[in-house]
Amino acid sequence: MIPGKEAEKIPTPLTHMKCLKCGTVNSRPFKEGDYVFKEVEEKCPKCGHDKMRIIGIYVKEEKEKKKVKLF
Amino acid sequence: MSWLFQFAGGQDLLSLLMSLLWFIFMLLFLIYPTFSQKIQLSYMLRDVEKKLLKLKYFRDEVRKRTINHLNKYSDGNIEVDKGVDRLLGSVVIEPIDRDPYGIMYKLEHIVNTWEETFENEVRALCPKADEKTVKTLTNLVEVARGLDYIYRIIRHYYLLGKKTANIYTVLQVQMILPQVMEIANAYRQSSYAFAQGQPIGDGVGVLAVAKLIDGMEKKTYEIAKDTVVQETFWNGRKILVLRAKGPGGAVGKPGEGVKKLIEAEGDKVKAVITIDAGLKLEGEESGKIIEGIGAAIGGIGVERYKIEEISKAKGIPLYAFVIYESIAEAITPMRENIAKAAEKVVEKVKRLILEKIDDGATVIVAGIGNTVGIGMT
Ligand SMILES: [Zn+2]
Repeated sequence: MIPGKEAEKIPTPLTHMKCLKCGTVNSRPFKEGDYVFKEVEEKCPKCGHDKMRIIGIYVKEEKEKKKVKLF
Repeated sequence: MSWLFQFAGGQDLLSLLMSLLWFIFMLLFLIYPTFSQKIQLSYMLRDVEKKLLKLKYFRDEVRKRTINHLNKYSDGNIEVDKGVDRLLGSVVIEPIDRDPYGIMYKLEHIVNTWEETFENEVRALCPKADEKTVKTLTNLVEVARGLDYIYRIIRHYYLLGKKTANIYTVLQVQMILPQVMEIANAYRQSSYAFAQGQPIGDGVGVLAVAKLIDGMEKKTYEIAKDTVVQETFWNGRKILVLRAKGPGGAVGKPGEGVKKLIEAEGDKVKAVITIDAGLKLEGEESGKIIEGIGAAIGGIGVERYKIEEISKAKGIPLYAFVIYESIAEAITPMRENIAKAAEKVVEKVKRLILEKIDDGATVIVAGIGNTVGIGMT
């Protein structure tokens, strides 16, 4: 039994990180062990500082197709 | 024979046969009035069966994921699959409500015992897991148990309907199946989120209070099981933030926490603000923030009862912020507009504190929800 297509997709959230030095916000796909407010040792893409803080983990909203909503 | 030809319009043999066939067909409906219902029943059963197969697939997948995940923290001698199956079949028997006096405390007692037993069983299965992982694993098993229960209920009504050939039994289960399938799919995604430790939509209340006091100097201590208080001062007001301890998956005991805090702080507490995710109606936008009065807190009602009871006794007003989301959004990985709502609600809470709480007074801000994937600030 193969379930329908709509059951297949499991959304992967993005992890948003803020550089502790310059404040640049960067995002990448979620990795196991990430949690909000965790400090991770990852390089800032802008200034090269090696400490960033996770400020949010969430699934990006799919762009809604433009359709006229009556209600 | 001629009369028969006359009946068929006096034409050839083929049209005679056709007419006869029609005649028999119509007779069938006449002498067997439930014939059409039987056809309908078989169609309905087939529809239910298809969805039931999908439910079974979901249940098996989630069960397998749970076992695989628990195996990572277990050692070779423990039969994890047998342990998980035992937990999936476990039940909680609600207290008798014919004599409702003191029922909330009986309910609390039973639920606490159950939670503790469940957690201890998971801990025994996974000796290598640390405390926060045990919490998340417990949630994972609970999700698998929920899905298993849904599957067994639907299977029960399907088989019952089939056995008794009762169209009304099948009709009822077919009617609710679309919503059930949506919830089942949400459970499936939720098990994935818990296995990975991703924040879920229900955690928005906790996320909001964490953001509220982020960067402030504070004192943190545990007040009830899995529940912590963070004390801080802001614009002359003492803010007591109550939340479940993260980033493991826990909801804590906010009711017990608020009760203990008010008992300790005495008359200085001037308001209790609760922030929680709430169920939206279809057509409403996710992440919409609603303000209200009362204790915004879901679950079986024990925690809400405690907050209402103590605040009534002390005459403390209850303010609530509810962030709308669907039932699926509440248990699946957090959506962008819900995460954004956490920031907006912080501003609203700050404004409320400045408006309603005098300088020097104390306010309790409780963030309600599952704290999986949300760390401490
Ligand atoms: Zn930087």
